[in-house]
Amino acid sequence: MKPLEICENALSICRRLGANDVVVSVMNKEESMVRFSNDQVTVVNSLDEVSANIFVCLGRRKAGINVLDLGVRGLEKACREAVAMASNTPESSLYAPLPHGPFDYDQKLLKKATVPNGPDQAVHWTQEAMAAARKAGASRTAGSLVARNTISHLATSGDVRGVAYRPSLELSIRAFGEGLASGHSLSISADEAGFSPAEAGREAGELAKAAKDPVKGSPGKMDAVLGPMVFADLISQVGRFASAFYVDAGLSFLAGKVGQKVANEGVELIEDATDPHAYGALPFDAEGLPTRRKAILDKGVLKTFLHNSATAEKFGTQSTANAGLIAPAPFCLKVGPGDTSRDELLSQVDRGIYVTNDWYLRYQNYSTGDFSAIPRDAMFLIEDGQIVASLRELRISDNVLSMLQRVKGLSKERKWIKWWEVGTPTLSPTALVGELHFTASSQ
Amino acid sequence: MEDILERAVQRARSQGASYAEARYQSDRNESILLKGGTPEATSVDTQRGISVRVLVNGALSFGATNVLGKRSLDSLVSKVVKGAFAAASARRTPIIMSPAEMVVANHILKPRVSFENVPWESRLELLKEADSSALEAAERSGITLPGRYISLDALTTERTIINSDGGHVHSVVPRVSMHVFLTALHSEKGTMQRIISRGESAGWEGVERWDLPSVLGRETKTLSRILREAKPLKGGKMDVILGPEVVGLVSHESSGHPGEGDRILGREAAQAGETYLSKDSLGLKVGSDLVNVVADPTIPHSFGHYLYDEEGVKARRRYLIKGGVINEFLHDRETAAEFGVTSNGSSRSVAYDREPIVRMANTFVEPGDHSLEEMLEDVRSGIYLKNFMEWNIDDRRYNQKYVGLEAYIVKDGELTSLVRNPVLEITTPGLWKAVDAVGDELEFSSAYCGKGDPMQGIPVGTGGPHLRLRGIIMEGSS
Repeated sequence: MKPLEICENALSICRRLGANDVVVSVMNKEESMVRFSNDQVTVVNSLDEVSANIFVCLGRRKAGINVLDLGVRGLEKACREAVAMASNTPESSLYAPLPHGPFDYDQKLLKKATVPNGPDQAVHWTQEAMAAARKAGASRTAGSLVARNTISHLATSGDVRGVAYRPSLELSIRAFGEGLASGHSLSISADEAGFSPAEAGREAGELAKAAKDPVKGSPGKMDAVLGPMVFADLISQVGRFASAFYVDAGLSFLAGKVGQKVANEGVELIEDATDPHAYGALPFDAEGLPTRRKAILDKGVLKTFLHNSATAEKFGTQSTANAGLIAPAPFCLKVGPGDTSRDELLSQVDRGIYVTNDWYLRYQNYSTGDFSAIPRDAMFLIEDGQIVASLRELRISDNVLSMLQRVKGLSKERKWIKWWEVGTPTLSPTALVGELHFTASSQ
Repeated sequence: MEDILERAVQRARSQGASYAEARYQSDRNESILLKGGTPEATSVDTQRGISVRVLVNGALSFGATNVLGKRSLDSLVSKVVKGAFAAASARRTPIIMSPAEMVVANHILKPRVSFENVPWESRLELLKEADSSALEAAERSGITLPGRYISLDALTTERTIINSDGGHVHSVVPRVSMHVFLTALHSEKGTMQRIISRGESAGWEGVERWDLPSVLGRETKTLSRILREAKPLKGGKMDVILGPEVVGLVSHESSGHPGEGDRILGREAAQAGETYLSKDSLGLKVGSDLVNVVADPTIPHSFGHYLYDEEGVKARRRYLIKGGVINEFLHDRETAAEFGVTSNGSSRSVAYDREPIVRMANTFVEPGDHSLEEMLEDVRSGIYLKNFMEWNIDDRRYNQKYVGLEAYIVKDGELTSLVRNPVLEITTPGLWKAVDAVGDELEFSSAYCGKGDPMQGIPVGTGGPHLRLRGIIMEGSS
């Protein structure tokens, strides 16, 4: 069966079996991934997958199942199992009827589009990135490159029908230099025109070269310039924990703070999957509502949580078109630009640290936002506005909300970030944060 | 299924592969979630498909599909071989599979209580009972629990693996896994959170062994005590006793990960990171003579259990650190060839569409001869970190941080007051070299370990006895 037939048949069967709400999604994914290390291709991965999922409600009883056999009998069996599971599940406290369409989706977001995703092209781009890094001074490189085409079909009992095409190109490259020096850069794009593997390779190589022979940093509270990879990691925590699901579960430091100033007034965070040229663009959410632009933070004030229909019902508000059938989530985040350059931010620091990448962010307490994360790759000591040394072996131990209040400036230039550590595509500037708390191993 | 896999291997060989393997894998996950005492959706997620991995002209290529028709599989083989040719154009040195004794085996772990005999209602009833137990403990202790999140998964993994070197393994392993997240609130003292995980390779009898209502009641009571009684720690030099939950994580993060052959070779450099160890580190002294760290996939019922790896190599117990000395690395056939050794059965993959890579299974510190009481007796001034909330470690696995959750001041051999959020931030050799006593009781925890690209969160066990560390500089409370 073709995807739309699967959707229509599953809707029909589930409704016949008594389901009041039904969501059927079918996704085709075809991708090549090149992993590389030591300037060589480690492995080429090729995936070709079709997945179908059914979600049903019997009253307020919910169940979800994926369909293995997409033939007529397999579909009937999956529908019966989903309805039987729902009938054996107690009522959920989080329930609202599905949004009722049909909806008018932005035609620009429905446009058929693909990217080249064969292994030869992917290896070629990888070689471009590796060569650029080496030319910029790297001694070796590692990373991954993904070229993916995804087609998502959605049908709901709320008269929603939609097809979305999501092409994507992602490169993550880490370059290494002398004496534990390294630099990391990315290029992510929804089309070939915006994809710059050589540029990412060059930036990673330059960072690795600049960071040569790093020395152990000293702990303390210092002004810090956080590059886009770092600030995206930190600000995307706000996007993640703006999900009403986490708020409801007691797992969000944003709980109870809508309407309050939680960040410096210069900080604006937009959730926006409606830019047709942006990586992460989507015409509709998992319930079929047209996606829309909204501010999570406006002048530092928390404006809204992110909702699907069920969480919106519980919170007494409207869906923000961020469904997840169980947990709403951000699709695409944008931090508002500042009015200065990265170099001007650096020049404002008397003594501080410039961090270009971080990873392994973990919370001591999700409801307060106390966390630590580890700077990795190029990190520099700043004195009198100048980079004077390359550093290593420090940790950021701080609080998300407190840190956002201490944002002193943001750069005009912004960069799209998504990689192993930052799951939601985030357009982020470089940020200057006052009195960031750096710690280090004692022995 | 064997016929189909065999055909895929033969086709790959006929198209130029010097080595080929094909795997069918099915992962069924029956999941329920209780949030704030009320159920969210129940779900069944089954992922199944076939993967093919080939070595052509010294280059590796992997591919997978869940469209299981003959035409689709033929197309997959061609695509994977094509990928290998493309990869070969960007390699200077050929990848080689080390020689290995191939296994032909059938490993079926039969559950005592099959999941299909436990209705959804019974599973939810158990979670509700556990949730009620936590609420009652909170009420008795004068706190509230505004955040209660309990998930329970029943997983069944079936695999058939055939490779061109004669390996042929079929396995079926059931697993149960529970994840609890509690947020406790005291009106004056604020919040405290606890993550509780349990996991076993077993049927429903594993869940019954855990006695969830008692666990949640006990943990809630402890959170209440921490909130009401814990005082800030004044930092300084002191002895530290680590509880088994902390030691398990330390053995995983600071011995297991650094000793993964693919990390040492830089294969994970842009994702899960590198390691402070190198190919020449075998024989390097990194800990006291008392430190023995073991990696063993074969432990019955363990969360990371397997008997044969993804390359058809028999799993075995390995000493990663022996007598404080780096003793052995974890290898698959690819990394073993680079090191001039044979694979020790460390190749794992989390799903049909994920490349097999070097992974841990169950990593733990081998028990010694001290009871906890004997360890405490010799401590004049110290701290006991029973468990933790926050932790992380740098990508070379050299600098780590653990923030204690249930933690006590030790004074003249006795546990005294609770302390709030004590911070241990220390290097890997700094930690292992400070060990001067090893407990005699081994306890395991379970976790999902993340590595690879695409990310593979794989079931692992982490374990250890108590460890005593001398002369550690503790930071004050965070």
